[in-house]
Amino acid sequence: MKLLNCPINGTRPLSEFIFGGEYRVAPDQDSCSDAQWAAYVHNRNGSPGDKKEWWYHSPSGTWFIAERNTLTDKVSRTYLLSNANLNPALESAQ
Amino acid sequence: MTLRIAKQTGEWLNRDKKIHFEFEGQALTAFKGDTITSALWAAGLTVLGRSFKYHRARGILSLANHDVNILVTDGIDTNMRADVVEVTEGMKLSAVNTSGSVKKDKNSYIDSISPLLPVGFYYKAFHTPRRLFPFWENIIRKAAGLGIVNFNYPRILKRKQHTHCDVLVIGAGPSGLTAAYLAAQAGLTVTIVDENKQAGGSLGYDRAGDAASVAQLQDLLNKVTSQDNITLLTASYAAGYYPDHLIPIVSAQGISKVRARAVIVASGAFEQPPVFRYNDLPAVMLGSAAQRLIYRYGVKPFNHGLVLTANDYGYRVALDLLQAGTKVVAVVDMRKAGDAAYTAKLIEHGVKIYTGHCVYEALASSDKSSVKGAVICAYDDKNNLALTSNKFTLACDGIAMSAGWTGASALLYQAGTGMQFNYQIEQFIPSRLPDGMFAAGKVNGVFNLEQRLQDGVRAANAAIGYLGLKAVQTEAITHTGSSPSHPYPMVPHEKGKNFVDFDEDIQIKDFVNAAKEGFDNIELMKRFTTVGMGPSQGKHSNMNAIRILAKIRNLPVEKIGTTTSRPFFHPTPIGHLAGRGFHAHRLTSLHDWHHTHGAVFTDIGAWKRAAYYPAPGQAKQDAIQAEAMAVRHSAGIIDSSSFGKIELHGPDAAEFLERFFTGVYKTQKVGACRYLMLLDESGVVVDDGIASRLAEDLFYLSIGTSNAAAVYREMQRYQQMWQLNLGLVNVTGAFGAIGIAGPAARIILATLTDLDLSDEAFPISCVREAKVAGVAARVIRLSFVSDKTYELHVPMSQVPHVWHALMTVGEKHGLRPFGSDTQRLLRLEMGHAMPGVDTDGLTNPFEIAADWAIKMNKAYFIGQRSLAILAKRPLRKQLVPFVLAQNFAGEMPMDCNLVIEGQDIIGRVTSISYSQFIGRCIGFAYVTPDKTALGSTFSIRTDNGSLVTATVVATPFLNNQKDA
Amino acid sequence: MPLRLLKYALSKEHPAPRFFKAHETPKKSYDVVIIGGGGHGLAAAYYLAKDHGITNVAVLEKGYIGGGNTGRNTTIVRSNYLTPEGVNFYDASVKIYEGLSEELDLNLFYSTRGHFTLAHTESAIRTMRWRAEVNKHVGVESRVVGPDEIAKACPQLDLSCSGQAPILGALFHAPGSVARHDGVAWGYARGADRLGAEIFQNTEVLSIDVKNGKVCGVKTNKGYIETKQVLSAVAGFTPRITEMVGLETPIVIHPLQACVTEPMKPWLDSILVSGSLHVYVSQSSRGELVMGSSLDPYEVHSTRSTLDFVEGLTSHMLDMFPFLSNVKVVRQWAGMADMTPDFAPIMGKTPIEGFYLDAGWGTWGFKATPISGKTMAQTIANDSAPDLIHSFRLSRFEDYELTGEKGAASVGH
Repeated sequence: MKLLNCPINGTRPLSEFIFGGEYRVAPDQDSCSDAQWAAYVHNRNGSPGDKKEWWYHSPSGTWFIAERNTLTDKVSRTYLLSNANLNPALESAQ
Repeated sequence: MTLRIAKQTGEWLNRDKKIHFEFEGQALTAFKGDTITSALWAAGLTVLGRSFKYHRARGILSLANHDVNILVTDGIDTNMRADVVEVTEGMKLSAVNTSGSVKKDKNSYIDSISPLLPVGFYYKAFHTPRRLFPFWENIIRKAAGLGIVNFNYPRILKRKQHTHCDVLVIGAGPSGLTAAYLAAQAGLTVTIVDENKQAGGSLGYDRAGDAASVAQLQDLLNKVTSQDNITLLTASYAAGYYPDHLIPIVSAQGISKVRARAVIVASGAFEQPPVFRYNDLPAVMLGSAAQRLIYRYGVKPFNHGLVLTANDYGYRVALDLLQAGTKVVAVVDMRKAGDAAYTAKLIEHGVKIYTGHCVYEALASSDKSSVKGAVICAYDDKNNLALTSNKFTLACDGIAMSAGWTGASALLYQAGTGMQFNYQIEQFIPSRLPDGMFAAGKVNGVFNLEQRLQDGVRAANAAIGYLGLKAVQTEAITHTGSSPSHPYPMVPHEKGKNFVDFDEDIQIKDFVNAAKEGFDNIELMKRFTTVGMGPSQGKHSNMNAIRILAKIRNLPVEKIGTTTSRPFFHPTPIGHLAGRGFHAHRLTSLHDWHHTHGAVFTDIGAWKRAAYYPAPGQAKQDAIQAEAMAVRHSAGIIDSSSFGKIELHGPDAAEFLERFFTGVYKTQKVGACRYLMLLDESGVVVDDGIASRLAEDLFYLSIGTSNAAAVYREMQRYQQMWQLNLGLVNVTGAFGAIGIAGPAARIILATLTDLDLSDEAFPISCVREAKVAGVAARVIRLSFVSDKTYELHVPMSQVPHVWHALMTVGEKHGLRPFGSDTQRLLRLEMGHAMPGVDTDGLTNPFEIAADWAIKMNKAYFIGQRSLAILAKRPLRKQLVPFVLAQNFAGEMPMDCNLVIEGQDIIGRVTSISYSQFIGRCIGFAYVTPDKTALGSTFSIRTDNGSLVTATVVATPFLNNQKDA
Repeated sequence: MPLRLLKYALSKEHPAPRFFKAHETPKKSYDVVIIGGGGHGLAAAYYLAKDHGITNVAVLEKGYIGGGNTGRNTTIVRSNYLTPEGVNFYDASVKIYEGLSEELDLNLFYSTRGHFTLAHTESAIRTMRWRAEVNKHVGVESRVVGPDEIAKACPQLDLSCSGQAPILGALFHAPGSVARHDGVAWGYARGADRLGAEIFQNTEVLSIDVKNGKVCGVKTNKGYIETKQVLSAVAGFTPRITEMVGLETPIVIHPLQACVTEPMKPWLDSILVSGSLHVYVSQSSRGELVMGSSLDPYEVHSTRSTLDFVEGLTSHMLDMFPFLSNVKVVRQWAGMADMTPDFAPIMGKTPIEGFYLDAGWGTWGFKATPISGKTMAQTIANDSAPDLIHSFRLSRFEDYELTGEKGAASVGH
């Protein structure tokens, strides 16, 4: 990947973007155990595969979600988190 | 003894322009357009360079930018590739990596002790006894390297440009030119690039003695240049393939980063040397090198040349040699039979042809500077055996070798192309191309000229179709006729010196021995023998190495595989890659003022901040103390414009702050300021700042300089998740800030504003909006550096105006500027810890005793849940304020000195300074929890090892003032 | 010329035997299976045999030995870390390295050149002072030096960095060294092989059998292997292995890139690192400048090269050495690094009985090769991790006791 499609600004070179890590949903902090919380804070899903990730288009200040395969580095799609209802899996995660 | 021949049709020389130059002290002439190598060869010189390891004499190999044994220096530049660098008037050249001269290199003795230097020898010796290794290493290090770097070479700023095209064609040979023309005809914008000075590829020099191809090339070039939508770039190479079809094109001028929608690789093939004893002597060269010499530079390769071949190409080379006036002593063909038509033609010219024979060894002339003959014998093609029983010698002064090719596939590999070994042509060719990549011509396994033109058409149509236009798709073209490459062009010889890799002087036996030692897969073999690791990157050696290993392991070539191809296609200058360089600095609108007032600047994040303003000759500490004393006794002024500044607009602004920071903001009154502390999810302190409520729905945040961009970015991210009803605006660059502090601050400010500055009307931790010096300002009253501090936030462009107004008014009150270093001392006197100075990347709020800033009873804030866990765990360290003894006069401890108890580290100093105002050394240090009580003492170890006692005190330190 | 090379000159047949046997099919069971035939895995096999007499060991390498990060790093060895635990650990590694060529009877070209970490900002100087104080305490030679001393060691360096980032000082670390990375893997492979361990190349682990929380076997492309102890030493691939046993870790993979120039006559004797300019550079015994930069900014399981990397790196190299404009970069490459949130490895036991981790090696794995092998061998032999690696345990994350190396990453105001 050298180009990335910002949902607001279109296709731009990667140098304009900042990687924000995998999109993750925190466990309910009131009901989860300390160990569950510690695992959420520190552990990551590090194996290769299709991931939903945070990316930031720096010049315009746009955070969005990219679905990317971390093995092939191919991005299948990008969208704003607020439009995540396009994606049932994300919606239920919220 | 010149080898220059009459003008050749299509040659690259301008014979009207004579060039005078020197090589190793010898005055020589050339024509404009000659490369250094062609000029030297024309002059009859044969020893042009020395090999890297054995210092063997070397001449021309490829004349195609991989003759890395012929590297020269002009005294300014080094490692210049003589085979492609043009000779220019007045050049004074010499070969690199020689001792004495290239002709009589004193290091050539290494060749005679080469049996002492077996493959991987450096792993096998010099390490015992251990103490002697530095001695040997020193010797080995001296022998290493090629040219000597010129430390005075100027920094050259090459341009970089970004270009876009529909189709990028790499290689302007017959298939590439054809493809480019067709793609352009379809209306696409095309860039075609070729590393040579002139387009045409082999069409320009592979003539079989017939100039007909010159006209054919001209016709093709005319078509290409007639198309406005084709950009033809010569003397430019495609340096590598990067994802999404980004290909840097390197020329003498700089780098053009081409982003193409489709790429056609028509990069041709590298001719590969057959391997026989002394195949590295000067005047043993590739057939294509001989052809280039003749047709590009009008130079006859030899007077009495012999052609060793294993394909039909060698016959074409022989015809070209004849045309150039070389007497062709014989054509020795390793195959059982050659092409009938070529054979007939050569016999017509009286050339003797030995089929089923090989060159068993080349014979060196008496001074080893050239060839005097070749030993020929029958060759058992099946068993790869030289049948020496009936060997005979032919006298000759040079050998042209044509045994086969390997595709110039580097960029295809880098793009992820699947390659398969094709046994019809004994070559790896693409079997699975990535989207938008196409291959044509020799790199695609197509060798016959007519077929290459067809393959160009086919590839162009495929690319046109890929880009969504209509095009006829045709089948892949299959090579017809005999194989262009010999399956195993290696002639065994018990005495060796049959070279596979000329960069690194690697012989067949080195591979055999490496395999014996267990390095019998291609990657390990590469690493152990260093094959392909020299500057030519294996262009002439990797394929033969694969063949040898296949033979050793008795496996098909396919099973051996290839080593990974990496950028760059040709070594690429650092200056080209670097371009003009770019360092982003942010300056405040007062930068010039600070500069003219003698400020010493410090880098904080991207910003240049004034650190302090020493008088001429004044020491740093003295300047800082003087500035601090002014703040304590009269007034000081600081440019704080670099602070991060963020506005939150909207009904949910307070809600956002409560979730994002640790404090409470919903109850904050308009006109009040509150402390901000930001944690990460693990409860670590990230930053702090101040929130000023300007309206029910407007907060104005000021935060630290270096983290501002990152904090703002995180706010934006959480807002994406929370979707609260508010807007975030980063106004860091829009607003500047001036801090005015000290007893006289109020009286100075009062003369420039109508704002009621009394403690009753405007207490600490409040914000007011008012005009200051006629400029609308947000005035924030803080106690960071002094109880009487006003921070004036005004539009960045107005900062100088307000600053000058304050300076003018303040002069009689003793107002003077202070910098960020002084600010650190002042805040220390006030007892404020600073994130990033007094905290590190693991510090939690409990460790800096900031429990007061944490509102655990809120529903949520970032890091809250982790703090709940941390609160249950024992505290491991805590930051405490300390003082040194009243009249401490020993070695002053410094930041980062350790707190020591017995043999153990129990903490460290994070901030320490002498305070002239307080009259003592004060600071912060981390200590174990048992040392935190007021009055506790601990020991700080100074740089020189003495222990200094520190005592825990309360803040603000100002209360510890000796007369307070 | 050392006499030991004479045997090559005098012999008709190449006298050197194989470094390690070419095993094809693993046995039915082993006492210990080591996944990963890089420096770490091979060192662990070597010390298991040498220190603990455990020789019924299989090392499984999916490619060729030393082909991962062992063969891709820039070979710097140093111990100038920030925390006492870190310094002690890496210092123990340096001590083994110093005698390793002799011990393995293979010249690793372990070359002590001195290592300068250049500081261009006051906050960098602060961090270096901190590191120097801790190093000194532990007995490791590191000190903060001024520009004069840097200039003496490397007169070619432009101390103003083309006026863009003047050098204020440096952390000088005398023991800083470079070594032949391939040799380290090969030497340990030969050592382990001679002591009885079996090395399998082209052997990929497909799954790991865990029953009742205990390891009981490993499935490979060459058959099933019974074993009760498995060591994962596959930095760059750790998450793929931990996923097989259902273990969560903080590790994410980022590529780390490097590049090398054409050979030139040696002129750079020291190892130089600039944090601000994101450059580290040394000159190899072949005469090439070996250069690296910071980690790639996003996760990807690939060793692809990027142009951004080499453009950024060379630009900063020119700031330091303006005269290199026409020196050519021959090759760039990449490795995959296991990154942890506190820039320290993850070593020792795991909640799964018999499954040991030697992971999280980020950009600092090569320098730890000997000591990681030694301590992991100890951990496996005793089923208990030695104190030296206690602070690198996996459970530190659940305990909120991250190692202090992260401290160095904080930025000053």
